[in-house]
Amino acid sequence: MAPRFCGTNLRPHVGRGRAALAAGLVLAATLARAEPAREAIVTAQLGGVVEVVDLAAGKVLRSIPVDGAPAGIALSPDRKRAYVTRPEGHGLAVLDLDAGRVVAEVPLPGGPLGVAADPKGGTVYVADWYGHRLFVLTERDGTLVSDGEIAVGASPSGIAVSPDGATLYVANREADTVSVVDAKARAETKTIPVGQHPFGITLDAAAGRAYTANVTSDDVSVIDLAAGREISRIPTGRRPYVIALSAGRGFVTDQYAGSVTAFDLATLKPIADIDVGDHPEGIAADADGQLYVANWGDNTLSVLDARSLKVLKTIPTGNGPRAFGDFLR
Amino acid sequence: MKKITLALAATAALVAATAQAHGPTRRKISESIEINAPADKVWAVIGDVKNADWIQNVTKTEVTGDVPNKFKRTLTLKNGDQIQETSNKFKPDEKLFSYYIDKVDVKDLPANDYSASITVEPAGDAKSKVEWKAAFYRGYMNNDPPPELNDEASEKGVGDWIKASLANLKTKVEKGS
Repeated sequence: MAPRFCGTNLRPHVGRGRAALAAGLVLAATLARAEPAREAIVTAQLGGVVEVVDLAAGKVLRSIPVDGAPAGIALSPDRKRAYVTRPEGHGLAVLDLDAGRVVAEVPLPGGPLGVAADPKGGTVYVADWYGHRLFVLTERDGTLVSDGEIAVGASPSGIAVSPDGATLYVANREADTVSVVDAKARAETKTIPVGQHPFGITLDAAAGRAYTANVTSDDVSVIDLAAGREISRIPTGRRPYVIALSAGRGFVTDQYAGSVTAFDLATLKPIADIDVGDHPEGIAADADGQLYVANWGDNTLSVLDARSLKVLKTIPTGNGPRAFGDFLR
Repeated sequence: MKKITLALAATAALVAATAQAHGPTRRKISESIEINAPADKVWAVIGDVKNADWIQNVTKTEVTGDVPNKFKRTLTLKNGDQIQETSNKFKPDEKLFSYYIDKVDVKDLPANDYSASITVEPAGDAKSKVEWKAAFYRGYMNNDPPPELNDEASEKGVGDWIKASLANLKTKVEKGS
């Protein structure tokens, strides 16, 4: 089965380790359902905390104070560490999720917001939404250190990384473009025009596509990666923000509409609008066909079923949950 | 020597300003009020979107488009300025009205990208509770806001306007009951 990718970057299910991989191989013959996500790691921006949410129990397990208005999130390939941007603290916090504490802080200039981790490990990319650049952070001696910049378009927001770590795709909010970046050369190789103010970007590497949520044109741009161009637009609700993929469908949060628009990945047509909470922002899918949506206005996490398109559960969170990025493990 | 001191002082001031500079984070406000009237009666006033005279400082309401499905509303204020709004959700069954502001002068309302929802629910014997939730960025969208448009001042400005509007609503409904 092809891996499913979601959030603003890749979520490869390699984090469960060899045991899970072995179990997966054993169970593959019986077409067993994939394992659901156990935890959501939620940045509660106005509450100044990062919360570890137990998805089965439907409650917050741990609340980790992170100042500087925590917003963007990425997880290490082993899913043990979270990289959280602090746009008002100017930097990135590195969290040990099992220990429930901040283990390192990397100061950064500008407005660090979007963040993605190389699925192969060792590198984290942070977008400066006040600038035209990504910050490259490299793992050294168990921590992250600043290691240069990559020039991209204006107001880079969401970042997606290819499974091999070789290519970055960056949504440039003010430029209305996506930058394709050669990670090794640290250089933009192509600029793809999309809709107005693309914010979240999600890669479907297996299908050779990427999707951007265009905040002010109220649509999703569909990009053919091989052709390097936009091939379609899908209308959404007001103020689309982030896209997740599951069960052959795309799901985009509509901030003003308080809904998630589901669309068909084959026909590229909308299927339904699903009411969630107030001002939904971050969204991610697990391997079991469930989607998790951070509702900034309501302080909740909605759990949706990708097939029935129903809300299964609503979990309370801290104030102003955003979870912009890869936040399931 | 003096020049050097000044230059140093300027550099120090610049560093301090840069250290404090940060990008706006969207704020939220939730205000509610209890009204001594049944929810239906309160909704009748809120749901009459063609007359927003209970909203603080509003002297005239003009509506265009398809009421109640999708419409635009222009509120004229006492000082002659206008607030331009677009409806988002209008659900009489849930007693919910949400909308966003397309255009407002930050002198009248210190907010950018403002969106809000207003709901009514029963609160016991012939009483109801109105909740007004607003989300917005501060009046100044870049680094180093002037004091009157920073996060705190914007929250206070929007909050005071909502509180005054809800008080007006309570007066209007209770007087009419």
